[in-house]
Amino acid sequence: MATQDTFRDIDWEEMGGVGLSAGGKQMLAFTAIYLLVLAYDGLLLHDGLNVLLLSPLGLEASGLGQFVATTNGPTLWIPFESVGIDFTFLWDFSGTDWLFVVTVAVGYFYGVLPMRNNPRLAATYWRQFKKNRAAVVSAIYLVIIFVVGIVGPLFLKDPQIQPLEAYQPPVFMTVPTTVPIECLGETTMQGGKQVCQGTWQYPLGTTGEGKGILKLLVLGMRVSMQVGLITMLLVITLGSLVGTTAAYFGGYVDEVLMRYVDLQASVPSFFLFLILSYFFEPTLFMLIALFGLLGWEGTARLVRSEALQRTEEEFVRAAENAGASDGWVIRRHILPNVSNTIITNASLLIPGFILFEAALAFLNVTDPGISSWGKTISAGRGDLANAPWIATIPGIFLFLTILGFNFLGDALGDALDPRRGDS
Amino acid sequence: MSDSDTQPLLSVDDLHVQFDTDGGVVRAVDGVSFDVDRGETVCIVGESGSGKTVSCEAITKIIDIPPGRVSGTVDFDGENLVDASQKRLQQVRGGRIGHIFQNPQGALNPVYTVGTQIIEAIQLHRDVSKGDARERAIELLDRVGIPEAAARVSDYPHEFSGGMRQRVVIAMALAAEPDLLIADEPTTALDVTIQAQILRLLRDLQKEFDMGIVFITHDLGVVAEIADRVVVMYAGKVMERGDVYELFEDPAHPYTQALLECLPGRGDATEAIGGSLPDPTDPPDGCRFNPRCEYAVEECRVGEQVPPIGVDGPDDDHCAACVYYRDGYDSSTVRGTVTATTDGGTAREAKTADDSEQPDGGGPQ
Amino acid sequence: MKADPLVEVENLTKHYPITEGVLRREVGRVRAVDGISFDIRPGETVGIVGESGCGKSTAATSLLRLEEPTDGRVLFGGEDITTYDKSQLKAFRRRAQMIFQDPSSSFDPRMSIGDSVAEPLKIHGMRDRNRRRRIVEDLLERVGLSARDADRYPHEFSGGQKQRVALARALVVNPDFIVADEPVSALDVSIQAEILGLIDDIQAEFGLSILLISHDMGVVRQICDRVNVMYLGEIVESGPTEDVFDDPQHPYTKALMGSIPKPDPRRRGEGIELTGDVPNPSDPPTGCRFHTRCPSVIAPDDVSLGQEAWRNVLHFRSRTARGDLDPRSLAESHLPTEELPGDEDADLARDAVNQAVRAEFDLPSPLSDSEAERAVTDAVDALVEEGTAEAGELLREAFPTVCANRAPELVETDGRRVACHLHDESVEATPQEDVTFGIGDDD
Repeated sequence: MATQDTFRDIDWEEMGGVGLSAGGKQMLAFTAIYLLVLAYDGLLLHDGLNVLLLSPLGLEASGLGQFVATTNGPTLWIPFESVGIDFTFLWDFSGTDWLFVVTVAVGYFYGVLPMRNNPRLAATYWRQFKKNRAAVVSAIYLVIIFVVGIVGPLFLKDPQIQPLEAYQPPVFMTVPTTVPIECLGETTMQGGKQVCQGTWQYPLGTTGEGKGILKLLVLGMRVSMQVGLITMLLVITLGSLVGTTAAYFGGYVDEVLMRYVDLQASVPSFFLFLILSYFFEPTLFMLIALFGLLGWEGTARLVRSEALQRTEEEFVRAAENAGASDGWVIRRHILPNVSNTIITNASLLIPGFILFEAALAFLNVTDPGISSWGKTISAGRGDLANAPWIATIPGIFLFLTILGFNFLGDALGDALDPRRGDS
Repeated sequence: MSDSDTQPLLSVDDLHVQFDTDGGVVRAVDGVSFDVDRGETVCIVGESGSGKTVSCEAITKIIDIPPGRVSGTVDFDGENLVDASQKRLQQVRGGRIGHIFQNPQGALNPVYTVGTQIIEAIQLHRDVSKGDARERAIELLDRVGIPEAAARVSDYPHEFSGGMRQRVVIAMALAAEPDLLIADEPTTALDVTIQAQILRLLRDLQKEFDMGIVFITHDLGVVAEIADRVVVMYAGKVMERGDVYELFEDPAHPYTQALLECLPGRGDATEAIGGSLPDPTDPPDGCRFNPRCEYAVEECRVGEQVPPIGVDGPDDDHCAACVYYRDGYDSSTVRGTVTATTDGGTAREAKTADDSEQPDGGGPQ
Repeated sequence: MKADPLVEVENLTKHYPITEGVLRREVGRVRAVDGISFDIRPGETVGIVGESGCGKSTAATSLLRLEEPTDGRVLFGGEDITTYDKSQLKAFRRRAQMIFQDPSSSFDPRMSIGDSVAEPLKIHGMRDRNRRRRIVEDLLERVGLSARDADRYPHEFSGGQKQRVALARALVVNPDFIVADEPVSALDVSIQAEILGLIDDIQAEFGLSILLISHDMGVVRQICDRVNVMYLGEIVESGPTEDVFDDPQHPYTKALMGSIPKPDPRRRGEGIELTGDVPNPSDPPTGCRFHTRCPSVIAPDDVSLGQEAWRNVLHFRSRTARGDLDPRSLAESHLPTEELPGDEDADLARDAVNQAVRAEFDLPSPLSDSEAERAVTDAVDALVEEGTAEAGELLREAFPTVCANRAPELVETDGRRVACHLHDESVEATPQEDVTFGIGDDD
């Protein structure tokens, strides 16, 4: 009604507090569900109650523990084998996987949702981004890797060692029959020698252990995605928090935080991981945690310098003038305006972490149960002369993925930069 | 006062400057002409987008070419600078034409002392020893009003206040005793009391060196304070040009009149100009000012802008780019008739057509 | 009958400490605002005018407690807001709003202007999104834009349009008081009049009180009922706008009004020119802060020099108070290289420095008052032989002036307040005649 619609008619006394936005409610709902499922998995499926709480206290709540724990998680197992399709669906979330879910959720709530709420802004960014062809192609490639990396391994059984099927060439290649142990494909004569043709059973060939390269690639995709994205999330979360806090509050807060950052920068995480791998089992989780928790100094400094500039802007003072609290200003004004720097920085961090993991895997210091690209490359190292596909194909994928992220990062930086003459 | 018998020091004729941008071709300067004599101050006045700065950058061609393109004639003491080689231009810049910019911070290099920079300016154009150049630098600093010049010559730019820095910039521009000084809004960033000092300084220096000065500003008060002649620009074109006294007492072009009437501080007499400045990539057809002009008629909205036409009055050079000054039109519609007032000034009588008769009133007769 | 003032500022002070070292020891203070008092009545527009460094913007932000004042009280509707706690302060923010100078940076570039205008509503608890939308659209129409503009982004608007949006944002919480900090300085002249007109209309329609900060006298004159003139952190004159502009009393106000170039070439060169620069606010002059540049500075009774010569002597005296006058470089500045004395000849050196000092400070040789002449010569000798401090001592003893010794109080005269010894009847002074320095034609 008209009487309610002008600013003169507001009765400020009857206003409640600020309340939650729609996005906020969604996040709350998501967090609740997540925690519930995590509790189920941890407590029930993995005997978490005993392990975490009761055993350390010396209690082995026999009845209670037994009652709560069950053996394995629900393995949704569809017997497609009877029709000849080797198909499984495995639910067994490891720690890394839980973190990955959080990462994807954060990406949704802080990346996708704001863009949906601001369609005009999103359209502007997309227009700018589109101009960079290389970036668009990279984006498509990366999305494919991402999807395949998440969905694929759910349907794949762990690769088995099958010595008889070792060294099969890819479907588009032929090699002398001396290379594979037993040629699964056709053997023909070429140039006076007997050659073995690859088959579709192993489209990209096999390793020296008989594991299919395609399968290893797909599993490797997941590993790379997890390492890249989760570590990146940890780094930018910690870095942004510290950076914006230091910039906004200044003074002692700034001093203390930045001196800690200097300290942390002097710790070489790569070597630390190597050392720790001698004492503890070098799982993927440990790798991610280490690089994530110790790798954010650069981001913090970058974000701090951007945030310092934003803090001086008049729209920050305008918000304070309207009665906004410090938290409100940081969350709604400073962070969104440094987010382009953060995003660009993030997309350039990811390839770095993927490379770290590849390097460590190459050196065989990571979890032997995880098949990452680095591991596969390392396995094929010795056979480059005879079976080049083992090291080369994962190598190419690794290269393309790094390149893709770099292109993406550059294009995002250009597209999101508000200082690009807007009018 | 301009002496039509002698050659003007600077004669700009039909100057065009265009820029190729993503949004289209920007015609920043679209057919601008004016003259400057020795010892004379010509003020170019306009708002943002009027082309005043670009016109003067085009005189010494300190524009990026490409994306800019300059055409027309810039006759400086007999030589056409538009066709001059880069080498010749470098000799002229600083040597015979000095340039002062709006922001003194930008013109001074923060890592060199002020003395070093002035000495460099001197030695670029005069063959003197370093010692002599230094003495000359101290002399210049003293001349522009820097106290204790010999001590200050070895100070860095950041050790000077805003007004002092602008004086240093003026000293640098004068180092080689130029014949023409182009000053682009030199006092806009300064406080009004400092501005008064700088304006006085420029006036004194002009007399001493017999320089011509082209002074760009958006402030009509400054124009009244120092100009001998005025060029009023809007959207890349000259709207009116003439002697300063006549222009203020009896402005011919509706834009000039509107500018004078919209100055704040006139109390109830202040009248805003409606509308907004035109888009530089897509200016209006016909007269650029027509969307905001209260006297606009059909002829104003089509074709090309009328070039400046001579206007009645004591000044021969007074002209305005308005159809009402063409033969067959009644110029008193926009100008009224001039009468003397009791305080010794002049006033414009009520115009022959009032607003209610628009748009028919004042057409060709 | 005068209504009770809405805003009363009492001795508002804001100092910024200058620190050194890791432990941030305070080594000085920038006295940006040093004890100002004024008030604003309901429905009135009051201006603060002054040049850069005078502290007017700092006064505005301290008044609203956007920065914490170092001292003083600000009474709003009778309550002292300097004692408010967080929630009271938040409620106060609804009643007092601000418009900022630079339209291009006063809006978050990532928020639509509709969201920017609605933000204060959200902050203060209005959750109904539709209601916010309706209020915003109504306000945008009132300030001369259209309701559809609510979804557009700041970069799509011109400077003048953005200032209209700024006004809408300030009004959205229905305040009683608006502080406008240089609202039109960044706009073209042809747009300024529109925005000022809008502010005037809004004020009349909603009965707001407005504090306008500006360095542009024309703007102040256009819409302010009363005006305060600030110099170096203090108010030097205060009164009804027309009176202060047409008949300024304080020498600084006179110089300020005189320096404004008038758009009338017949009146060129009418201004009073001030010498030198605005002093550093961390080290303001003693006594009256303006005395170092004042054309009407009061001379001691026993000195008869003529105002110009007296001012120059005072300038010499002030310069020695700053310390470190180098006689050698003075000589270098004013004498041609051949005439510069060598280190050996003492007499020649003294002569040369004497000449240089006279040239530097524009002192005639000899001065018309013989005692003054003797004092100056003695001071120059002291400068050569002993140093600047000793020279300064001599000059201070010989030329005492109340303007350098005592700070003037704001005194009521003629319906307004002026802080100048010339207007303080309790001070013994023979006012010298004013000297007008023109810019203009000598022909």
